Amino acid sequence: MRKKALALLMTCVLSMTALVGCGGNAGGSNETNASVSSGSGEIQKLDEKAAAGAIDNLVANTKDTVQLTIWASEMDQEFTQTLLDQFKAKYPSVKFDFQLGIQSEAGAKDAVMADPTAAADVYAFADDQLIELINVKGLTEVSTAYTYDVASANSASSIAAATYNGKVYAYPMTGDNGYFMYYNSSIFSAEDMVSLDKMAEVAKQKGVTIGYQKGGWYLHGFFDAEGTGHYAELQSDGSTSCNWNDQVGVDIANAIIQYAKDGVLVMADDSTAAEAFKAGTMGAVVSGTWAAQSYADALGSNYAACIMPKFTAGGKEYQMTAYLGFKLIGVNPNSAYLPWAMLLAEYLTCEESQVARFQARQLGPSNVKAASSSAVLSDVAIAAISAQGAHGTLQRVGGNYWASSESLSDILISGNPDGQDVKKLLDDAVDGITAK
Amino acid sequence: MMKKMGMSKKRKIGGAFKMVLLLLLACLWLVPILWLLVTAFSAYPGMSRTRFFPEHWTLANFSRLFFHPDSILQYGRWFFNTLIIALFTCIISSIFVLMVSYALSCMRFPGRQGIIRFSMILGMFPGALSMIAIYFIMKSIGLTNSHVGMVIVYSAGSGLGYLIVKGFMDTVPTSLREAAKIEGANELMIFIKVMMPLCKPIIVYSVISTFLGPWSDFMFARLMLNSGLSKDWTVAIGLYNMLDKSLIGQNFSAFCAGGLVISIPIAVLFVIMQKYYVEGVTSGSTKG
Repeated sequence: MRKKALALLMTCVLSMTALVGCGGNAGGSNETNASVSSGSGEIQKLDEKAAAGAIDNLVANTKDTVQLTIWASEMDQEFTQTLLDQFKAKYPSVKFDFQLGIQSEAGAKDAVMADPTAAADVYAFADDQLIELINVKGLTEVSTAYTYDVASANSASSIAAATYNGKVYAYPMTGDNGYFMYYNSSIFSAEDMVSLDKMAEVAKQKGVTIGYQKGGWYLHGFFDAEGTGHYAELQSDGSTSCNWNDQVGVDIANAIIQYAKDGVLVMADDSTAAEAFKAGTMGAVVSGTWAAQSYADALGSNYAACIMPKFTAGGKEYQMTAYLGFKLIGVNPNSAYLPWAMLLAEYLTCEESQVARFQARQLGPSNVKAASSSAVLSDVAIAAISAQGAHGTLQRVGGNYWASSESLSDILISGNPDGQDVKKLLDDAVDGITAK
Repeated sequence: MMKKMGMSKKRKIGGAFKMVLLLLLACLWLVPILWLLVTAFSAYPGMSRTRFFPEHWTLANFSRLFFHPDSILQYGRWFFNTLIIALFTCIISSIFVLMVSYALSCMRFPGRQGIIRFSMILGMFPGALSMIAIYFIMKSIGLTNSHVGMVIVYSAGSGLGYLIVKGFMDTVPTSLREAAKIEGANELMIFIKVMMPLCKPIIVYSVISTFLGPWSDFMFARLMLNSGLSKDWTVAIGLYNMLDKSLIGQNFSAFCAGGLVISIPIAVLFVIMQKYYVEGVTSGSTKG
């Protein structure tokens, strides 16, 4: 039984590394396997042997029960459980005691920082928490590859999101965090959705609104739009640098206020937007893939999505951008079974798991092979976020970014109700954002 | 005669005005509770902001809580956990409080005044201050993520809350205890046979207050139960996690139902013990 499993594992490892290792190889996995006689294939094969040997050693040296706690988000529980069961089945000779806990990726940092030694051995988190998690020694560097090479298998941007000081600290799991536009295709045509001005025109005609969500995360879409020369970036001392308070920034702020004053741009969140879609009072909203199901339900056959539009400010047109985020799997260096934790993290993020995750949970993969499968590309929301990838930024801002940008977004999207001086608003916001 | 009539008319108008004002305030206070109540019976799982009363009524939220648990929503389990923790805390804490009060009220020993003063000062510090220290102490002895650990922490400091009970015991005539002593009773017998029957109202008070603490505690439970395992949670932690932003759309009315259900044991406890409770609170406060 064990031999059989080992053989199975070897084949798995072989095809896996061959797949990801020879990047330019267009053939299917079988053909790639057959072509190991080439020069690079030989080296590859040796590495695989070493890797498989490492797993073999690990299995042989594990006498007691492997106890691991895994944190996955609320929505990921069932799917993660099936992966854990499959992982157990892969190593039948080893006794596992897996405890699957509930921890949202967004809150992982707080939970780990509270007490890294009490945190889970393997946990999912959002990529913006990477640096802080490394600082509290909550992440192990990805130094060994047992079954596949993390850095070459995943998209470059997802690896950038998992890298700090040139070292990879986490295993990319999904690559679909970010925002784009959901819209009602009976109200807006695909051409309308290219420009916010066109959208506003149509919306006014048809008496509908366009929802924009509050907070600095979404406000980034306007202010750091392509061509504005704006930035909000994390500095090494944990503060944020930001230059939104120039003339372009004032133009952008005035443009947002004008959209809001026209009654076109309104503050919305996912639940109010879904209700408004259902009632037919809203034509489009900014949101992300997590809300895809509720928007698909609300819009029925008119469900559509596309990238963020262009907008005009001060007579110039800018392409809106979006923050891109990745969900990563991290391994806690305090784990008593570190090699197993790393092997499990690899399994949770390998190509097969990412495809299965997409099928089960509609989460877009970060693995390049998985992302290019036709099933993934045919998903409305995932296709939109993939397209948005060309107009996106990694979210790297300090803690002071959020409160100031959120209050700025509140004022702008509600149309500057108190008529405050726009330049002063931006100066205050930038002061708050760049505060040390 | 005329004057008298005017007076009573004025009084009537004033009374009516007061009533209207009170009615208005009562309505204001009751609206959120009514909203919780009707939302608990809503067939729409999320939070509806377009209507107050649900479109369709259902009991499904309650049956989901108790009969259809999933990997996150294990309400029955949470309810059981909380009940166990609260019951044991209630028993242990009540015994502590009553014994401390008896000792400080009825017995005379060196250092008694010092202990009273010291406990007064201790009681002035907010309990939250020590939470992190307690967490690490409990962790070092392996009692985090453990219900036993929670019972220990909840009941350990409860003796400090003796003031009201001691106040009540001070009102029991000394002659009763002296009589018992002359009959040959020791302190334990006096405590159990003489004081306890006389202290019924205040026992009820301390039972209710020591039960309510752990029953509705959130902060400490969140600190202690950090493994993320749903089966270990208490109701407060579970309800909190039900409202995660990715779940709120499918959980909000079940959350309201859960909120209603936790009020049931408290309500039952109050109804049973109401008579004594009022007596206990008021009589304890007459003499401090």
